[in-house]
Amino acid sequence: MNNYALVGRLVIGDDGKTLTQTSIPRLMNAYDEQAIEAALRFRDAGTECTIAVVCAGAESGDVLKHAAAMGADEIVSIPIEATTVDYHVMGDLLAAYVQSSGGADLVLCGRQASDDDQGVVPAILAERLDMPLVSIAREVALTDGGGVRVTRVTPDGDEIVECAGPAIVTISNELGTPRYPTMAKRMQARKKQPTVVEVASLGLADTALQPRVTLTKQFVPTVQSSCQMIEGASAAELADALVAKLREENVL
Amino acid sequence: MSGPAVVACTWGVATSDIEELLTLGRTVAGSLGGELRWLVLGALPEGATDTAGRFGVGGVDHIEDAKLGTSGSDAYVAALAQYCTDSTPQLLLFNQTFQVRDAAPRLAARLGVGIVMNGIAIEQDGGTLRVTASAFGGDTRTVYDLAGATPQLVSVSANAVAPEAAATATNPEVRKVAVDLGAVEERVRVVTPPKREGPRLEDAQTIVAGGRGLADAANFKLVEELAAALGGVAGASRPIVDDGWADPSQQVGLTGKITRPGLYIAAGISGASQHMVGCSAAKTIVAINTDPDAAIFKHARYGLVGDCLEILPELTRAAKAR
Ligand SMILES: Cc1cc2nc3c(=O)[nH]c(=O)nc-3n(C[C@H](O)[C@H](O)[C@H](O)COP(=O)(O)OP(=O)(O)OC[C@H]3O[C@@H](n4cnc5c(N)ncnc54)[C@H](O)[C@@H]3O)c2cc1C
Ligand SMILES: Nc1ncnc2c1ncn2[C@@H]1O[C@H](COP(=O)(O)O)[C@@H](O)[C@H]1O
Repeated sequence: MNNYALVGRLVIGDDGKTLTQTSIPRLMNAYDEQAIEAALRFRDAGTECTIAVVCAGAESGDVLKHAAAMGADEIVSIPIEATTVDYHVMGDLLAAYVQSSGGADLVLCGRQASDDDQGVVPAILAERLDMPLVSIAREVALTDGGGVRVTRVTPDGDEIVECAGPAIVTISNELGTPRYPTMAKRMQARKKQPTVVEVASLGLADTALQPRVTLTKQFVPTVQSSCQMIEGASAAELADALVAKLREENVL
Repeated sequence: MSGPAVVACTWGVATSDIEELLTLGRTVAGSLGGELRWLVLGALPEGATDTAGRFGVGGVDHIEDAKLGTSGSDAYVAALAQYCTDSTPQLLLFNQTFQVRDAAPRLAARLGVGIVMNGIAIEQDGGTLRVTASAFGGDTRTVYDLAGATPQLVSVSANAVAPEAAATATNPEVRKVAVDLGAVEERVRVVTPPKREGPRLEDAQTIVAGGRGLADAANFKLVEELAAALGGVAGASRPIVDDGWADPSQQVGLTGKITRPGLYIAAGISGASQHMVGCSAAKTIVAINTDPDAAIFKHARYGLVGDCLEILPELTRAAKAR
């Protein structure tokens, strides 16, 4: 979801915790699009693989069709009311799905959801599947032994790491712009039906479906503005006035 | 429950972040009616006992092991899981560093406990822990209730609270805590470590940042020149990093650096919340923008309406003239 399209347009619904549908477009998380892009680049480079995109949620249809249009081989929906679960439950569900579907050679996630920004689900998934976690990647390459070599975007610059597969890698925006499917692919994808995997079929204990974290409220914080406009007839005047002001206030 | 109410856990972060975390930890421990402990993984920061005393810490727990200190999170998660089992804290707080982003949620999964990232406030409401976090890139605040097994985990955003020493200082002792990391084989191996170039934005006292209003990659040097003239560091908004005008290490904001300079000059930056997350803790923000209605002016102390391509060189000149 592209947040910058939303600035100032966020409307909290009557429940006091979720954003109204009209104020947020139901789009795929941009980082997830980049994760799919990362997978498609393997195939472009000649790696033989099946790319399955799975989404747990109440109305994942359009999101999954977009994934299919981008080039996913399989789209999988796990219907669940998102408000009744937390990241643990999401992670447990996705892990159970990966196990029940015969495992995965590589699991790609977005670095964080662009609504709640939590970035927790991939780590839970990594623990549940006992896979190494490599987060915030700008580039992913496969190594000869079935492992991955990943370039991570760290606060100190790029770091290159390797680990054996199967691994969980989370993708950051530095990967680059995901492909936009052609009209023909979008039309084709519209007909594609997701494979529906019911929660009950995943064999999770009731306790695993109990949320530990519950969203009770969401609000838009107010900003108290106290901006003093600097006056000047030219760029030079503005600059002099600002520098004088900052020196007067001991900022400079 | 016999364990401490709150444990503030740190490794490898700046003193100012530690002081913020201890301030928040002390408040929450007070409302839980228990003790605040400070858990340090790896080397003890300089003056740790002094800091701990000033910030009202009951005691310092110190875990040192050769396996800690790598970029991977396997050893940290194992050490923390053992600590939690032995010390049974009610709440574990972290500074949200790059490593904590991985380690804390993994720990939550291993212990089967609740976790909230991007935390900015914590309160206690009749047995329920209530955590306010930043969401939607800073556009909204979410409030979460945590239930179930302890310790509950909260990763706290930089600049969430202002550091404040305790009314009464304490006299904490450092206790060595042993963990057994013999079975840990770090699964993620570093091939090429990051090369940090130049001073860190996080430590900069003055930052001059440029955005899309610079219009062209070549104009980023106007930002660098003013930064140099002020003895500061150059920063950037995300779109111009994505376009390669500036280095990713220069990005300020939600998915970049969280800074806290004395002076932040934003040139040609609109003031999107995802950007402001990274600079709103600046003592003085100056905004230069052609659009008088730009959101950045709501956050700025001083505003200049005009073309940054003209104003930046003039500021460089004025800054150099003493
Ligand atoms: C999940 C997520 C994470 C993000 N993380 C970050 C992040 O970490 N950091 C970040 O910065 N952004 C981040 N963003 C992007 C953010 O939402 C904004 O899109 C971005 O900050 C806008 O950058 P900008 O201000 O440079 O560009 P714009 O929004 O295009 O603003 C350009 C501004 O320059 C002004 N201008 C134009 N010409 C001139 C001129 N000649 N002189 C002066 N002013 C001029 C315009 O009036 C405008 O206000 C993120 C977005 C998402 C969805
Ligand atoms: N309901 C879900 N279905 C599929 N993937 C998910 C779901 N929730 C989270 N993820 C994955 O986990 C990443 C981080 O999400 P979050 O932890 O919610 O910030 C997302 O970018 C997705 O790749």
